[in-house]
Amino acid sequence: MTTAPPTGRRYRPPAPLGGRRRVESPKHRTAIAAAFLAPALIVLGLFTIWPMLSALRLSFTDASGFGEPEWVGLENYIEVFTDPDLLGAVTNTALYTVLFTPVAVAAALGLALLLNNPRLPFRSFFRTALFVPFVVSFSVAAFAWSYLVDPQVGLLNYWLRGLGIQLGNVLEDPNLAMPMVVLVAVWKLFGFYFVIFLAGLQDIPTSIYEAARMDGAGVWSRLRNVTLPMLSNTMAFVLVFAMIAALQAFDQIYVMTGGGPYGSTQTLVMEIYESGFRKLEIGFASALSYVLLVATLLLSLAQFVFFGRKEKDLA
Amino acid sequence: MKRKTVLIGGAGSAALALLGSGCSENEVGGPATLTFWHGYTEADGDVLQGIVDDFNASQSDITINTEVKTWASIDDTLLTALSAGEGPDIVAMPAERLPIYADKGAFVELTGFYADDSSNTANLIPGAVSMIEVEGTKYGVPTGFVPLAVYYNTALFEAGGVTAFPGTWDEWVATAKQLTVDEDGDGTPEQYGVVLPDHATVANGLWPSLFYGNGGDIVSEEIDAVIDSPENAATLEYWRKAIVDDKISPTGIDGVGADELFGAGKAAMTIGGPWMASIAAENGIDCAIAAIPAGPVTQAASAIGVSMAVTVDADDNARAAAEEFFAFFLNDENAAAWSLGSGWPPLRTDVPAEAVNSNPVVAALTEIADLGRPLLPGVVNSVDVLAAVDELTQRAIAGEDIDGLLAEAQETVQNAL
Repeated sequence: MTTAPPTGRRYRPPAPLGGRRRVESPKHRTAIAAAFLAPALIVLGLFTIWPMLSALRLSFTDASGFGEPEWVGLENYIEVFTDPDLLGAVTNTALYTVLFTPVAVAAALGLALLLNNPRLPFRSFFRTALFVPFVVSFSVAAFAWSYLVDPQVGLLNYWLRGLGIQLGNVLEDPNLAMPMVVLVAVWKLFGFYFVIFLAGLQDIPTSIYEAARMDGAGVWSRLRNVTLPMLSNTMAFVLVFAMIAALQAFDQIYVMTGGGPYGSTQTLVMEIYESGFRKLEIGFASALSYVLLVATLLLSLAQFVFFGRKEKDLA
Repeated sequence: MKRKTVLIGGAGSAALALLGSGCSENEVGGPATLTFWHGYTEADGDVLQGIVDDFNASQSDITINTEVKTWASIDDTLLTALSAGEGPDIVAMPAERLPIYADKGAFVELTGFYADDSSNTANLIPGAVSMIEVEGTKYGVPTGFVPLAVYYNTALFEAGGVTAFPGTWDEWVATAKQLTVDEDGDGTPEQYGVVLPDHATVANGLWPSLFYGNGGDIVSEEIDAVIDSPENAATLEYWRKAIVDDKISPTGIDGVGADELFGAGKAAMTIGGPWMASIAAENGIDCAIAAIPAGPVTQAASAIGVSMAVTVDADDNARAAAEEFFAFFLNDENAAAWSLGSGWPPLRTDVPAEAVNSNPVVAALTEIADLGRPLLPGVVNSVDVLAAVDELTQRAIAGEDIDGLLAEAQETVQNAL
């Protein structure tokens, strides 16, 4: 229903609340925008930009956290690229990323597709349950998992022993420790990706599915030709987020394995932590952080370019 | 010597304070309130608090406030706290961590304090003092120094028919075999004779102790890597056979896991520090203490050390006040009280054995105190050295080629040094 303007005299729209309408100059608008943005910008500047710039400066020094650091130029960066011990950390980080990203994204997408079905009973309950691990602190989750897989007192070991399966000491096994810390990360983080996928799925107009159905498309065909292409933006976002999370893996590794057994879970961020807080080589740790930052940026950029092209192809 | 005259109070309190506290080259110039971080969380923490309270009460100018944290938390937060100027004035930490902070300038030199006759440092155990030195300069005061020892379950010994504690490695392994029980014959014993962690061992000292026993070492006095030696190779071969083939100990376990296994009554012997006596008591285990049996060459044990230091956040007045406290902590009365209360042997060699006989744990540990060797004294980058030792022992027990592993470890340790 529409409401017609009163007749008999010329219609004037009501004045905005707060009295007469002000004519705002662009300068005035900019000032208002700046005022609204200021709190966030101040927080961002103080707690993100300034520490980043400070770390950049430190990366060119021999800073230890005490006394006046001395300028060492590119020495720390040269060490980052020539230190043979770092190769293990780079390999482990790559392995972690390769294991974590597809598994977490596939699990999130699969469950999002399943729980997007309106006929599924207890849908809201399952959705909430899957998101809960994301709300739990990573350290708490890691402690809980450590106890679960403990060879002496762990419930998981106990249950599996009942089925005749000897899990052994997973966190002390160099072949199993990495998959284990990846599994914990997947359990902890996939709920977030799941919610993003769910939102993406709900944005796809049902009319497209109806049209596809009328054209005789089956479930698999609809998934391949409608769902996945329409989710490409969401997919790019989730993949980039998952990859960044993988490259920054630290919490559960610190708690569960400390980088062991014999370095098999020592990632780059663990290396940064050890260099900075155990060996007090803040300059080197800062340089390593910047190398990781640049690598992350480049990888994210590559993914966005890839998905951007795919979207163009679809268009 | 510049005698410190701290107290302005009444003659009685001044006399009391000077009697208990020592002196240093600095003088306390006025009231000082100091923060002291430490990780003594058990009964030892109560005793330390008692000493601090006594010190605070003994004079009117200096107040020390303690903040109890875990040792790991101290290590994680000290750098950021000191960088922000919010750090403690005094901090206690595992002795092997002290050199790295000292080397980076986090701690104040205590050379003058040690030179002072009234600092009560003249008779400190030399090994304990060596752990607070970096390139000949002293940066701390020891609060604990105790050799690793074998803590054994006397009930399991009795049930296994073992009447005497072994004196040599061969006897030790034979005893451990006797006490290892695999009731169901599935190849996994329900009770182990001993629990020997292959990494992250208590105070990182188990494998150094075994290396010493066969005449080996990790780092020489000249701070050179000496880990790749035939002696260490023989040690690793010997214990790999005992652990893996004879199954006297579980594999792939760390120090915390070893404590748990012993506390659960599933291992007859473990290697540890004084707190094992408390763990045993809490779990209703009758426990006795013995020295780590002698190796083919000698009998020695890596020592667990804890030291306290004055941080750069302390101003001159606070530094002088901290030195007052250190001298008080090390005086005759407190040296014995701290030992008795904490369960650690006396830090001073001139504390008579009778003074600590009332605590059986201290008495037993004092008897074997001479076997204690400081772990990596003067080594700044202990992080990488200990990580290399951990990797070596873990991979050796897992069955990898020992000679190759030792060569790798030698290179890593030398690079770290």
